[in-house]
Amino acid sequence: MIKKIVPAFAALLCSLALFAQEPTGGVKGTVITRGTKEPVQNAKLELFSGAELIGTVLSAEDGSFMIPGLADGMYTLVITSSDYLQNTVNVTVNDGYVKNMFNLSLTRTQSETAIEDASLLEFDLDDSGYNDAPTVLFGSNDVFNEIVSYNFSSVRFKNRGFASEAQDVYLSGVKMNDAMTGYGPFSLWSGLNEATRAKDATTGNEMADVAFSGYNGSTNIFGDATSMRTGRRFSVLTNTAFYRLRLMGSYATGVMDNGWAFAVNASARLGGNDWIKGVYYRSFAYSLAASKVFENSKLHFIFLGTPGRRGAQNGSTQEVYDLVGDNMYNSNWGYQNGVIRNARERRTHEPIAVVRYDFKPSDRFEGSATVLYRFGKNGYTALDWYNAQDPRPDYYRNLPSYFYNADPDWNRNSEAKAAWANEVWTNSAAYPQYTHINWDKLYQVNQNDVDANGQKRAHYVQQERRTDQKDLNFATNVKFKAAESLTLRAGASAKINKTEYYNIVADLLGADYFVNIDNFADRDYASNPTMVQNDLDYYNAHGEPQKVKVGDKYSHDYFAHVQNYEGWLGADFASGNFSAKLAGRLGYSLFWREGVWKKGLFPDNSQGDSDHLGFLTYAGKAMLNYVIGGNMRVYANVGYYEDAPRFNQAFLSPRTRNSVASNLTTSKTFSTDLNWQYSGNGYNVRLTGFYATIKDQTDLMSFYDDLQNAFTNFSMSGIDERHMGVELGFKVPLPVDGFSLKGAASVGEYIYTSTPYMTQTVDNSARIVVDNAPVTYWKSSPLLSYDSNGNIDDHGGAQQKHYVPATPQTAASLGLSWNKNYWFIDADVEYFDRNYLDMNPFYRTDQAVRGPDGIATAEEILYMTAQEKFDPAWLVNFSVGKSWYIKYKYQLGVNLNAKNVLNNTNVKTGGYEQTRLVDNTTSKTRYYRFDPRYFYYTGFNYMINVYFRF
Amino acid sequence: MKKTLFAIIIAAAASFTACEEWGPVFTAGYENPSAEKVYTDADMSAYGSMITIADLSKMYKSKTGGSPVKLTSGWIKGQVISSDFSGNIYRTMYIQDETGGIEVKTGRTNMSNEIRRGQWVYVNLNGLTLGMYGGKTGNYGGAGMIQLGLEDQSGEYETAYIDLPLLVDKYIFKGAMGGEVAPVVLTESMLPGKNDTQATNKYIGTYVTLKGLKYGDQVFTLIYLTYNENTKNSSNRIFLSDRTWGITTWALTKERMGSMLEAGTWDSVNVGNSGDYKYGTVGDHRAVKGTNGDTYGDIERNAYSVSHYFKMGSTDIQVRSSGYARFADIEIDPDILAGDVTVDVTGILTMYQGSIQFTLIDLDGVTKN
Repeated sequence: MIKKIVPAFAALLCSLALFAQEPTGGVKGTVITRGTKEPVQNAKLELFSGAELIGTVLSAEDGSFMIPGLADGMYTLVITSSDYLQNTVNVTVNDGYVKNMFNLSLTRTQSETAIEDASLLEFDLDDSGYNDAPTVLFGSNDVFNEIVSYNFSSVRFKNRGFASEAQDVYLSGVKMNDAMTGYGPFSLWSGLNEATRAKDATTGNEMADVAFSGYNGSTNIFGDATSMRTGRRFSVLTNTAFYRLRLMGSYATGVMDNGWAFAVNASARLGGNDWIKGVYYRSFAYSLAASKVFENSKLHFIFLGTPGRRGAQNGSTQEVYDLVGDNMYNSNWGYQNGVIRNARERRTHEPIAVVRYDFKPSDRFEGSATVLYRFGKNGYTALDWYNAQDPRPDYYRNLPSYFYNADPDWNRNSEAKAAWANEVWTNSAAYPQYTHINWDKLYQVNQNDVDANGQKRAHYVQQERRTDQKDLNFATNVKFKAAESLTLRAGASAKINKTEYYNIVADLLGADYFVNIDNFADRDYASNPTMVQNDLDYYNAHGEPQKVKVGDKYSHDYFAHVQNYEGWLGADFASGNFSAKLAGRLGYSLFWREGVWKKGLFPDNSQGDSDHLGFLTYAGKAMLNYVIGGNMRVYANVGYYEDAPRFNQAFLSPRTRNSVASNLTTSKTFSTDLNWQYSGNGYNVRLTGFYATIKDQTDLMSFYDDLQNAFTNFSMSGIDERHMGVELGFKVPLPVDGFSLKGAASVGEYIYTSTPYMTQTVDNSARIVVDNAPVTYWKSSPLLSYDSNGNIDDHGGAQQKHYVPATPQTAASLGLSWNKNYWFIDADVEYFDRNYLDMNPFYRTDQAVRGPDGIATAEEILYMTAQEKFDPAWLVNFSVGKSWYIKYKYQLGVNLNAKNVLNNTNVKTGGYEQTRLVDNTTSKTRYYRFDPRYFYYTGFNYMINVYFRF
Repeated sequence: MKKTLFAIIIAAAASFTACEEWGPVFTAGYENPSAEKVYTDADMSAYGSMITIADLSKMYKSKTGGSPVKLTSGWIKGQVISSDFSGNIYRTMYIQDETGGIEVKTGRTNMSNEIRRGQWVYVNLNGLTLGMYGGKTGNYGGAGMIQLGLEDQSGEYETAYIDLPLLVDKYIFKGAMGGEVAPVVLTESMLPGKNDTQATNKYIGTYVTLKGLKYGDQVFTLIYLTYNENTKNSSNRIFLSDRTWGITTWALTKERMGSMLEAGTWDSVNVGNSGDYKYGTVGDHRAVKGTNGDTYGDIERNAYSVSHYFKMGSTDIQVRSSGYARFADIEIDPDILAGDVTVDVTGILTMYQGSIQFTLIDLDGVTKN
């Protein structure tokens, strides 16, 4: 049944048809991999004159090809190679000359063992204000990225330490990073692996083909029907880390005789996993694409979406993890009638419609224009409560540490209660009603508050926090080959985004209605009915707040308006082995808040438009590239970027009012890198040194401040960072046939370099608590440690740097790969170190460090300001795969990817410090922190994927 | 190969179907939980004999505190008379039977969502401690309130909050909803004396109405300069007593306290315990600037309880309300404050250092005559 395909297509080739006149024209060139410039051997080049196939050749070992004996005329050259996207170019042969096409680049498709996109989704950080989204490298054209994308994603590696917002993600040439947060938008097409497999990626400052792009690389997903692999494909996948089952099917016609191409991709991802209870998928995905190929242009239509829901994971304190004996404990779920129910669910369906027009009126000029519209709903459920106990099982008052601490200064002295709490948490399976959400109790409470009409008022509801975007985009880019050595490029884009933020009641949990008032205001201003209103106009019209039912809006309702416009120009020079690129970008960002409701607390500053905030931005970048001997190149990039702050960094409390943070300004990034690369003879090596500074960043968070006994808004400005380091990726053949050694390493230092300033306001009153005070211990703190006698050693006044968190600053991978006869086996070892916990700036203020007595002792500084460094971690991964060709027509493949085979369950991948303080101490001289919350990487997990192409 | 593929799919599917996690995947919905168990007397037989609240109170042998009793068996049954909805009663619950009333220190907030007024509850006594709060010896002292709670390991109080959900469920069982509890209207002669406890006066800790109370033109409230110092230090204390000090609301919210302070209303008040006025006056702090530029920058803004004095005949009744009560900011009717009218109050009769402290459940408990 199973036949091996002959790797070379030589037997299928036909020789060139000779023309009667024995014409002297021809076409020649070199097929290379886009990005790495690596030659592609055995690429099939088919030359058409109209619909007639004139001839076919294969590229040589160095990627070169030659098609001689062509008459003058226009031809179409179609280049195909396994693992690459098909490329079609038009060729004109004139005056009997051999046309030199020079480099024809192919874009590598993602391999079947690619990163599971579910791992890109952010954790549930429970409104902590932290961001834990990883950056995503796609291994389409770079040996470092290829290794890192698969092996480092499990620990949420952020390339070069940059935030995920710094990585530009494009769909059909349109930048898709979230307009509000800048986060990578991968959830928009999660589950559409086939439709999004074809992509183009750049690293660092490298300029994307379709846009200026930033300093942390870019990815452009093509998404159109002509870019999807031709044929039918069906796969079944099971996976123990995210969901049990994925079913996926796709079909692409390729370009048909009539010039049309159609493609469809659909999938379902269902079920839970072996490690984190409550995390489950009920997610579907679809993509429909049609393209029409004209003589000099293509028109593409794409429509895709990923309707579904999935349960989220929360982080807990180490105390909880240790008590339950499970670092994967998830506090988000509980049993309801014996069924696991997660309170925190993503419920989304945000379809995207794209129309793209690619045009190439001549060999010298080509371009593309896209209109893209994103719409739909994006919901995130959570429990909400009014005058009721906190339903979260790991709420600090439910834990042993709340009742007893051996240090008398903590003023926690009930050993008996601590012992009972310990009993509960160490036997969590016997006490699910206390160690998980007690849904039954929430329903019972909701039966009890019955009004005069016999209607039950809910005290607990499941809310759905909606962030519904209407995002209209236009992007265009053109490329003009002005001369053999000069290519000019230009582009422009516009984004007009209107996002509505509001809550709806998702589930009344057995009650009849919930009352739309501000729960926080109600605690402070209960006797003033107008001040507690979320919708004062409704209250004034009806004399009472709205009784909301399932699906009704409550809490807040406002629009965020964001408009970004930019244009860019670039020039590529090439002369012999030397090439250079130069580009500049000019942009304007405008955003404002539009309150729909008049808030009782802020009747004069909540409804209608806020100030319109505009920021002029600009950037420039340059690249120098020198090729040495064909296989080696040295290149360097440098760039400077001024980027506007984002909506979510600007408004102090957008739920309640129009107030804007002070000191808002653009962030300034300088970034440069120097690279050496060798590709050829089976070797592929890249070594890079990079250096970047980012200045004038702002950040905002809201939290309960125990010192104010109030919910407060905390804005921080003037945050500077410095990122520098080296990265190495290599793949080298070993003397044993089929074996290669591959590895990657990223070693950097990503640190804070400034003392930011903070302003804190009370959320309910906008009263300023602290005005523009330094966050003294942000960039560093005195290097202090306890010596063997328990005394503090100040190390001669040395300072301890504080690090940009949530990524290992040392990450390395070394593996063996064997690839022969459609078998592949990979085994590798990973090492991660110098991963730091996200710091809460509040703990780094003088106020928190000094404590009630206003004196900052060395002990207090050490305790309050030190930044936690995670333990180093080793991971071992293993993959095996095999594919069979059947009757030269079908392909059946099986992949097994096993990760963390040593079952290391102690690998912290992230977390955050809480913001609350223990302030009722016995000594009244100092404060204590609340414990941080962590996320851990799952233990041994595997994925089996069976696919069939026909 | 097809067989292998088929086997993998079947094996995978078989392993899925038994999993509890698949409920939401298939249905995207959940059934409402079944109704909560309603405890009856029969269910309590495992916990020993029933004791009346009066008999339980008599197990506490002191009038003024100092002799907590660790209980080892038995149970009481009572009807809930308090509600924490208004916030004036917080982390605790009062229950009464025909013989008397007692406070159960649940330690849980918003318990009234779970246990309604009028509902019967059973309290398993085995493991709880009977203690007193507010008793004081000496000529100016008197009886406090007998309470049920856990043993206080800090030694600061005689009982501690039960607090932990497991323990609340271990000691408190919900029974059937009872009828509405009618307040007993007390005459002056029925009021407790300074040494009365629940053991000697059946109305203490119960739901009562006091009629014809006339405003007494004085308040009592204790303000601390800061919670960051020991609140027992004389230098940290400001007593507002013997007159009204401009307080016309039932209690002081944080905002109200701040605005009255900044208005200079209390500038003439001495700082320190009575007889220890060596720390100047409140007005001396006016010039101190806070971090945000406020005056009186070294006096913390916090919510404070206020006792308003009323007279029932010749007996002082302190109507004491929490600064965290939802009605704290409500202005008391000027006619009441002026003494032009009397009020009837309905709530819980409590004792503190031999004085009657009347606890309103909410403002429905105040009727102007």
